[in-house]
Amino acid sequence: MMNLRSKRTRIAVAGLAVLAMTLSACSSSKNNSSGGGGGGTGSTPAKKTVKVGLAYDVGGRGDKSFNDLAAAGLEKAKADLNIQTKELSAVQGESDQQKADRLTLLATAGYNPIVAIGFAYAGSLAKVAPKFPNIHFGIIDDNSSKLPNVEGLVFAENESSFLVGVAAAQATKKKNVGFIGGVQTPLIQKFQAGYAAGVKAVDPSIKVQVAYISQAPDFSGFNDPAKAKVIAEGMYDGGADVVYHAAGGSGSGLFQAAAAKKALAIGVDSDQYQTATADQKPYILTSALKGVDTAVDNFIKDDAAGKFKAGSVRFDLKAGGVGYATSNPIIDPYKAKIEDFKAKIIAGTITVPTTP
Amino acid sequence: MSIQNPLAPDATAGRTGPPGDLERTGRFGTAQFILIGLGGLILLSFVRAVTGASPLTAGGTVGATVALAVPIGLAGLGGLWSERSGVVNIGLEGMMILGTFFGADFAYFSHSPWMGILGGVLGGLIGGLVHAVATITFGVDQIVSGVAITILATGLARYLAGVFFTGQGGGGPTQSPSIPQFQALKVPGAESFFGKIEAHHWLVVSDVAGLLRGLTTTLTPFTILMILLFPLTWFLLWRTAFGLRLRSCGENPAAAESLGVPVYRMKYIAVMVSGVLAGLGGAFLADFAGIYREGQTGGRGFIGLAAMIFGNWRPGGLAAGAGLFGYTDAVQSRGQAKSVHALLLLVALLLVAVGGYLLWRRRLRPAIAGLVGAVLVFIWYSVTNDIPVEFVPYTPYIITLLVLAVASQRLRMPAADGIPWRKGQGS
Repeated sequence: MMNLRSKRTRIAVAGLAVLAMTLSACSSSKNNSSGGGGGGTGSTPAKKTVKVGLAYDVGGRGDKSFNDLAAAGLEKAKADLNIQTKELSAVQGESDQQKADRLTLLATAGYNPIVAIGFAYAGSLAKVAPKFPNIHFGIIDDNSSKLPNVEGLVFAENESSFLVGVAAAQATKKKNVGFIGGVQTPLIQKFQAGYAAGVKAVDPSIKVQVAYISQAPDFSGFNDPAKAKVIAEGMYDGGADVVYHAAGGSGSGLFQAAAAKKALAIGVDSDQYQTATADQKPYILTSALKGVDTAVDNFIKDDAAGKFKAGSVRFDLKAGGVGYATSNPIIDPYKAKIEDFKAKIIAGTITVPTTP
Repeated sequence: MSIQNPLAPDATAGRTGPPGDLERTGRFGTAQFILIGLGGLILLSFVRAVTGASPLTAGGTVGATVALAVPIGLAGLGGLWSERSGVVNIGLEGMMILGTFFGADFAYFSHSPWMGILGGVLGGLIGGLVHAVATITFGVDQIVSGVAITILATGLARYLAGVFFTGQGGGGPTQSPSIPQFQALKVPGAESFFGKIEAHHWLVVSDVAGLLRGLTTTLTPFTILMILLFPLTWFLLWRTAFGLRLRSCGENPAAAESLGVPVYRMKYIAVMVSGVLAGLGGAFLADFAGIYREGQTGGRGFIGLAAMIFGNWRPGGLAAGAGLFGYTDAVQSRGQAKSVHALLLLVALLLVAVGGYLLWRRRLRPAIAGLVGAVLVFIWYSVTNDIPVEFVPYTPYIITLLVLAVASQRLRMPAADGIPWRKGQGS
């Protein structure tokens, strides 16, 4: 009887496993070769053909945030180049080896350049890149690599956070603002540091409440809107009237709490006023923008033009790589002061801290 | 199973007896429950007054506690049904994931949160059915099937989300658009009336007002329905012939079969109900968050399973465990480091209470462990002013573990739990 059982066990388990793999595979790979608009031979002879591989972080296309911005950058590049792409996404809780396999897959299929979206790829890229010295790699949010074929694309999130901090400090009536970080990592602490510095630059007496949803290596904090909602409600009940989040997909919880408490919230990465629901829009003061799209677009174009340079590129306020959103008109009265600080940061008279 | 002497219910309480006694010692009457509740409230009120950490008893904390405890409790309740029939269900997390997706999907496309409940039921039912077919009919190893279901559910939810949500106002493979939610039932006037009393910070009175404000202004119809499932489970499993039969399949399926209990059918029902409950937990989570988001369950299914084990496979113990977890999670989320520091005092006092109770029951070793723990926690409380921020998110895990580890010293799982059963095996 044991034999019979274990045989059946194996068959059933194998069946389930195969089914699971198939399902996740067909959802995560997206292979489209785009003609780049003009298409036909001769009509756009100036367009150079490049094969671009994109490895997204968890979420992939359609996350309304980070990965979508990278995809937007790719679309922008398509305006000038004839691009063939292969786009693959990471899955929740995968290992470094799976990331390395994904990069290797793109490299062996002849995609060059390859862009890795997110610092989570740093470890696997360090292993894969030396094996393909002729392929150029770009990685968002990481500048740790010293390899000759890797370019790190990093952002001055502390500077954009500083600007929304200035906005929050002007908008708060109770002299109490909040910050919700997704996962406590140095990257997210950069947002916190910049935001707090911006608030204090306007009025040092304003209280800044800080909370993180989870601690690294538990990355659930980027995908837990319920928890973000509870934390935001606690902050609003605790006297805050403006709360800024750097919590990825958890952010929708903050916007809900803001709408329910009729208090203000600040978005992150993309202009979240645009994607919020109608009842939440009035409460989204602004968003700290991160030009992942610009970075991806520039990287692909520069590489096609033979201007790849190893090392790292920093997208800051000066380079126009970060900024703040002005789509909600309630930000208008605060703009003058924000622009004032922006000019000072660009001129170098204010240095924004990167650690809290 | 074991023979008990009805005239001397407490005679065996002091020592480790046969299985039947173990379940009995954990049971309290209504009066004791009210006493414990009152004692807890006074304790909380005292801690709040001493530390000045008002989030401990604020009205909003009640709402947050319920919102954070219900998904965990429901997953645990699902595990309870399944394991009481003898099937270990480690696939709760996967069934919960299906619940979040189907709950959000149904609610979004029907524009009604009520349909989200139905979606959660269906999603969980699919998961439960797969587990039942694999483990009961085909005798697959129950752990392996559970793990496979969790992997499968993750992939399935992502695939279906891509199919259904792409192009729907901000949705995609990883998240849904905003979905219609249940609104909290608010008793007219309660908010301002209790709010005023709460603001005075009177000992006990303001804390009761905070509790009442939470209960009268933050609960949704969904929440209330889900809480009712706990007493309903207790009634069905412990007060009906159906429940006795179902539990007998988890204790001794051979004996049950010999008495004419349809073991397969009972197990099927239990595992499917288990899936439904976990799915409801998922749908509740999606409803509270107002969105389906990949990975939003974040291991709550596993936490529920742990709460059920610590709760000694009983609805009351499970509810206490999930409630304690939800409460500490709510306090740490809302109040951050200062409130967590205040919680240390509460934990010290709780450990004293539990230790004292155990001492009274002459269970020396756990009693001493509890009291030593209390002293240590109290020293920690008095020599520090704050808690490292890195520690804060882990508070619920540590406190629940600490309290339940002392309180639930003698756990007994159903005797035939996890053992595959083939028809006619006993004869």
